[in-house]
Amino acid sequence: GAAELELLERLLGLPGGNKYGVQGQRKVPVLQTNNGPGLTGLMTIAAHLVRQAKKDQLLGNTAEEKAVVQQWLEYRVTRVNGGSSKEDARIILKDLNTHLEDKVYLAGNIFTLADILMYYGLHHIMVDLTVQEKEKYLNVSRWFNHIQHYPGVRQHLSNVVFIKNRLYTNAH
Amino acid sequence: MGFGDLRSAAGLRVLNDFLADKSYIEGYVPSQADIAVFEAIAAPPPADLFHALRWYNHIKSYEKQKASLPGVKKALGKYGPADVEDTTGAATDSKDDDDIDLFGSDDEEESEEAKKLREERLAQYESKKSKKPAVVAKSSILLDVKPWDDETDMAKLEECVRSIQADGLVWGSSKLVPVGYGIKKLQIQCVVEDDKVGTDMLEERITAFEDYVQSMDVAAFNKI
Repeated sequence: GAAELELLERLLGLPGGNKYGVQGQRKVPVLQTNNGPGLTGLMTIAAHLVRQAKKDQLLGNTAEEKAVVQQWLEYRVTRVNGGSSKEDARIILKDLNTHLEDKVYLAGNIFTLADILMYYGLHHIMVDLTVQEKEKYLNVSRWFNHIQHYPGVRQHLSNVVFIKNRLYTNAH
Repeated sequence: MGFGDLRSAAGLRVLNDFLADKSYIEGYVPSQADIAVFEAIAAPPPADLFHALRWYNHIKSYEKQKASLPGVKKALGKYGPADVEDTTGAATDSKDDDDIDLFGSDDEEESEEAKKLREERLAQYESKKSKKPAVVAKSSILLDVKPWDDETDMAKLEECVRSIQADGLVWGSSKLVPVGYGIKKLQIQCVVEDDKVGTDMLEERITAFEDYVQSMDVAAFNKI
């Protein structure tokens, strides 16, 4: 929620100083503005920050890339939240693993806001995975390890360790 | 090291396995290492080797920038899994690049000097194939080490970091960079031999100084 937006601000190189609040039971983040009710919603505020930092390429360049970025932002907001059950986590990891089979980043070949917010959103799930699970969702592990090493992304979050030599043989 | 013969199905399979949990041949950014391997492959890998295919399509998207990617191209035998026997022979050197240069353009940026140096190194490598290679892969890493708060003794923190010794690790210069609220982070340079020291190991050992270190980040990573 709000903590994530602060991480994003720092990653984007914004000066900071924005004030965040939360709304309702689901703790939807709100960005307080000088006039009016404020900007509401993780996806909305995040996209706004990206534009403020003039890093629009993080939202995708082509129409298709932009759509894919939006798809994963929506996924993040509707399916991945702090209260995911183990069963929910399993489905998310399976979806992601399939999607990432032929892609380096969520939107294909470019690093976007989708990768950033999905990384922050998934961190608490990835931290608890066993070695066997990390190998089972091999593409997610590869992507997650890549994103956490991307300059400026991880900040104070813990580094999730992925061992180099795979212990469990894979079917292919 | 090396992938075996990348023009054979077996070599491609080694590449595929290698790339299953990696986005790039070396490190976390595209580099000359990826270009070197890319140029050794005759055609896109088949669909069943989907990790290799994913990597192939991704590197292809860097086609226009290939000359400016970091690092130096080394002989193919220097890349890949450590436990695979190096079977690269004369066939994989620069002479074949003309035949399978997929990007279709000549290496205008490569000066005569650089070309001579590369050919010299390849010749050196071939003659020393069975012995340990003379050229050692090194990287220059800039680390950001963050303390818990502004009261942390940064001199002691630096001492702790520099006390980490390892074969293939050399500490360089450092400076304190303010990050706000009176807190300063330690930015310290080091040079590592890629085969011996990795950022994961550095991270483990640095963050082990729990009393001083809150976290460590790689601020910059450059191949030398």
